Amino acid sequence: MQGRPPETGNSLTRHKAPATSVTGALLCLPTILNAFKLICLYCQPVLEFEIRIFTGRDQLMATTPFMLLCGTLLGLAAGFIMHRSDFCLAGMFRDLFLFRSAFKLRILLLLIITSTILFEIARLTGLIRIYPFPLLSSPSLAAPLGGMLFGIGMVLAGGCVVGSLYKTGTGSVPSLVALAGLVAGSAIFAEIAPWWSSVNGAAIFLKGKITLAEALGINPSVPAGVAVAAALPCFVLICRRGGWVRPTYTEGALQPWLAALLLALIGLISAIAIGMPMGITTSYAKAAAMVEAALCPAHYESLKFFQAMPLQYTHPLTGTLLRGGPGKELDAVALVQFPLILGIIAGGALSASLLGEFSIRLKLPPRQYLSAAVGGILMGLASRMGAGCNVWHLLGGLPIMALQSVLFLVGLLPGAWLGTRLLTRFVIR
Amino acid sequence: MENVQTIEFDISGQICPSTLLVALREINRNINELNAGRVQLVFKTDNRDCTNTIPEAAGNMGLTVDVRKDDSCYTILVYKG
Repeated sequence: MQGRPPETGNSLTRHKAPATSVTGALLCLPTILNAFKLICLYCQPVLEFEIRIFTGRDQLMATTPFMLLCGTLLGLAAGFIMHRSDFCLAGMFRDLFLFRSAFKLRILLLLIITSTILFEIARLTGLIRIYPFPLLSSPSLAAPLGGMLFGIGMVLAGGCVVGSLYKTGTGSVPSLVALAGLVAGSAIFAEIAPWWSSVNGAAIFLKGKITLAEALGINPSVPAGVAVAAALPCFVLICRRGGWVRPTYTEGALQPWLAALLLALIGLISAIAIGMPMGITTSYAKAAAMVEAALCPAHYESLKFFQAMPLQYTHPLTGTLLRGGPGKELDAVALVQFPLILGIIAGGALSASLLGEFSIRLKLPPRQYLSAAVGGILMGLASRMGAGCNVWHLLGGLPIMALQSVLFLVGLLPGAWLGTRLLTRFVIR
Repeated sequence: MENVQTIEFDISGQICPSTLLVALREINRNINELNAGRVQLVFKTDNRDCTNTIPEAAGNMGLTVDVRKDDSCYTILVYKG
């Protein structure tokens, strides 16, 4: 094929990330904060009035639009930011094994440490009323197995749970297949739930304790302070070596370090306004429940897993009691997670559309569809086994040193390694 | 002017990180031709992460990379500069 010789003087076309995209990101931030302030200002007098006069159902009525709005806005921001910065937790571990690149892992560490600082300050100042967060449980020695399966799954799926969401928003078909897999995996878990419950239950240790601080009987500020003190000098060193910045060639790119800081902030706002940091995967079980209840109601009724209500907490701002679980009902789990999920997809779609990069391509090698499906199923299974997905554990549990999250991470690493081996051997050749 | 052969790869829509893996594989496969200036590689992708990573990776191998955006895709040209 005749090709044109390269034009002279036209070497690297580098789109410098800073100018437009940092401005764009910084513009996002006040918008988010202002929206949040407005919501609080609006809700405060309304809710105080209502809480005094009404009870129960009417409290819930006031809480619902607030939660829907908050979740959607936070999801929109998260999806947008992640798309612009190529933020993918799966890639962070995968690239370590695939390309010996630790850049993305440093970014993850920045996110975790920033979240640690923000959560601890918020706890000390009373901004976070529920600590540890709801839906966190005592550690189980079976957690690494969940982590490992999740690690394999996220690499095979080409993205973790949030990655698959925002990528679906940009038109990625493998990511959509992964989402379907997540629902299927949750449905499979429902079948084995009683068995897993007994295995997991037998492996629980330090019952009643969730975080490292609780286990040691010390003030949470101590482990948080130690982690931050150990990390900060490393961060400064990395900064000096220019290890936080990467050159970008895509339009509208956002530097990952800025994305990490913004996402930590979003996690904080979520913890304050909704009651917990970003969590998503119980909703996949709920989606599976809805499908199963419609298709085979008798079998659905027999599954104990769908009847459980593990989420029970009092909303920190409105005082409403919220309860929910993985069943088909539109309960607190749906209220907390559905807006977030839809928001992230929409955020990815918005970001891609603004750049003219939304596109759906269907003619892909068949084994990629299979990989995405298998990966999604594994993630669905593993997130139920480990009581949370990577986002929940890495961005919610680890910053407050929840032991279950630490154990999940212990399994995640070898899982990602194994997933990478499978990916390069069987999927992309 | 020498005839430079252009080999094109369309990796749009594929599962992450296909673009990077295919690019690295093809660059390695054609490294001699690339270095001799007889061949240039073109990768068409919509994967932003890989688009941001390929230039440095190819640069480390002594090659030059041009990135251009066409419609909804990025076109990455790899050649010996």
